[in-house]
Parts: sequence; C-alpha cells; structure tokens
Amino acid sequence: MVDLSQYLPILLFLGIAVVLSTAFVFLPMGVSRLTGSHKPDAEKLSEYECGFPAFEDSRGRFDVRFYLVAISFIIFDLEASFLFPWAVSLEYTGWTGWGAMMVFLAILGLGLAYEWKKGALDWE
Amino acid sequence: MIHTIAFYLFAAMVIASAMMVIFARNPVHSVMWLILSFFNAAGLMVLVGAEFIAMLLVIVYVGAVAVLFLFVVMMLDIDYAEMRAGFMRNMPLGLLIALILLAEIVLGIGAYRTGAIELGTPDGTGAAPLGASNIEAIGSLMFTRYVFLFEAAGIILLVAMIGAIVLTHLGSGPARGQQNVSRQNRRRPEEATRNVTPEIGKGIEL
Repeated sequence: MVDLSQYLPILLFLGIAVVLSTAFVFLPMGVSRLTGSHKPDAEKLSEYECGFPAFEDSRGRFDVRFYLVAISFIIFDLEASFLFPWAVSLEYTGWTGWGAMMVFLAILGLGLAYEWKKGALDWE
Repeated sequence: MIHTIAFYLFAAMVIASAMMVIFARNPVHSVMWLILSFFNAAGLMVLVGAEFIAMLLVIVYVGAVAVLFLFVVMMLDIDYAEMRAGFMRNMPLGLLIALILLAEIVLGIGAYRTGAIELGTPDGTGAAPLGASNIEAIGSLMFTRYVFLFEAAGIILLVAMIGAIVLTHLGSGPARGQQNVSRQNRRRPEEATRNVTPEIGKGIEL
C-alpha cells in the first residue's frame, strides 16, 4: 500500500497555493471596489480598439496544423509515459519486456518516419 | 482524518468543476473547468493508492488531451448562440445519453458491491510482485501478461497518428523559403569566396 503521508507536504502546499491565489485575485478587486469610484456605463465597458469599433470577433479560428502538433504530442507523450513503468520493472519482465517495448517503439517509430516523410513536421 | 478531508475536498471539486464544464457559457471556459476536474481526479487517484495513474492523469490528460480539446474548440468556428438553439429538439437525445450514463453508474456501483476484483490467475502468472511499488507492479504486468494489449495500444496510436496526418495535412507544394540544411553545412569558404588582387584601372571578372 502506498504511504500517503509522503504526500502531506504537497497537500499543505496546495492549500497555501489556493489561499494565496485567491487572495491575489480577490484582494485587488475588493480594494479597488472600495477605494475607487465604480460607475460603469456602456461606453466604458465596450472593448477599445484604437478608437474604432471592434472589427471582428476576437476569437479567430486556429490553423488546423496546431491540431496535428497536438495529436503528435499526445502520442509521444503516451509513449514516454509507457517507458517509465517499463524502465523500473525490467527486473521482473526481463527480455520479454525489453522486446515488447522495442516492438512498441518500432511501431511508433514507423509512425514518426511516416510523419517526417509526409512533411507533417514542417510548418511552412 | 486528513485523508477523509482530502477525499471530500477532491471529490467535491471534481463534481463542482464537472458541473461547471456543462454550465459554462464559453466552451474555452468549459475546457478550463475540465482541466481542474482532471487535477482533482488525479488527487483522488493518489488517495486511492494509484500513484502512477495519478501522474498519468496529470501528464496525459491535463498536458495533452486538454490542449487538444482547446485546439478543437478554437478550431471549429462555433456560433455559440446558434449552438444553444434547438434545445427542445435535441432534448430526447440528451435524455437518452443521460439515461445511459446513469445506467452505467448503477452498473458500476453494482459491480463494486459484489466485492474486490480478483487480480491475476490461480497459478499466479498474472499477479503483481509482492512488495513492489505501484509503478513496478503495473510495469511487471503490462509487459508480460498483457503484452498483447500493450502492442495493440501501440498499433492504435499509430493509426491515430496516420489518421491525423491524412486528415489535416493539406497537400504540400514546393515549400517557400525552405532551407537545405545538409547543403548549407557542406558549403566551405573556398567554394563560396575568392580572393582577387585587381590591377589599378581595370575591373574584375565576376
């Protein structure tokens, strides 16, 4: 069973982080609300773009190639996270485990070669 | 004591942020709440003793899957007002999905109440080594007994990679401003420059 007391400092740190970030977010809001004058109207709240009304929605579409980068990232991220249990359990798995991981790496290496040859790694 | 407090804190945060995923008006905010939900689920996994799964949740789900969701949300040109229309029309489908999820939860609780899952086989081939840490136990099973599933996961990842390339990679014409690195590295000063001493009053040949 896992010794959870090792995680106590992380939990304490988490609590401190929550308290500090809450203070940083809400303290300036509260102070400015109490000290400054707060009279918003439609003109003040409208977005300001060099004196012009906003031309278009600020949320433009992303290039689809970001998606390709993200997919590649997920796949190699998973590959790397499979390497950790493999590396620490080699004494139990022996050559079978070693060969299994090599086959796995070869499969993904094939994918990487395909991706490279297709030019999907180039941005252009 | 602290264990119980932490459990209820994480569980409440998971449920609250999952609700906010649904109720947030902006899909980008939904993804942010989803990330918070993943973090708290990782905390729950640590509490239950599955450290490796917890780290995997943070690395893979928060680091990669959430980013992918964010890209998808930003890539699709969604009109949010239009998306919200037709609520009554899509209601039966939504109710159906909600019922299926409810049935899954009920089945899951039923499976939980039947007792602990028997890990491994009677002859002991599928059991994790005693006294090994969480990650060692996972590794020792994944690369021996479940090696076929592991390789199948590799094939699935390969299919995902090739599928993503085929779907998104728009035909590559001759690239503009592309550099040939090996040719640049092969270039030597002798073949690129030339020393001349031109006579006075005469030009040089280029």
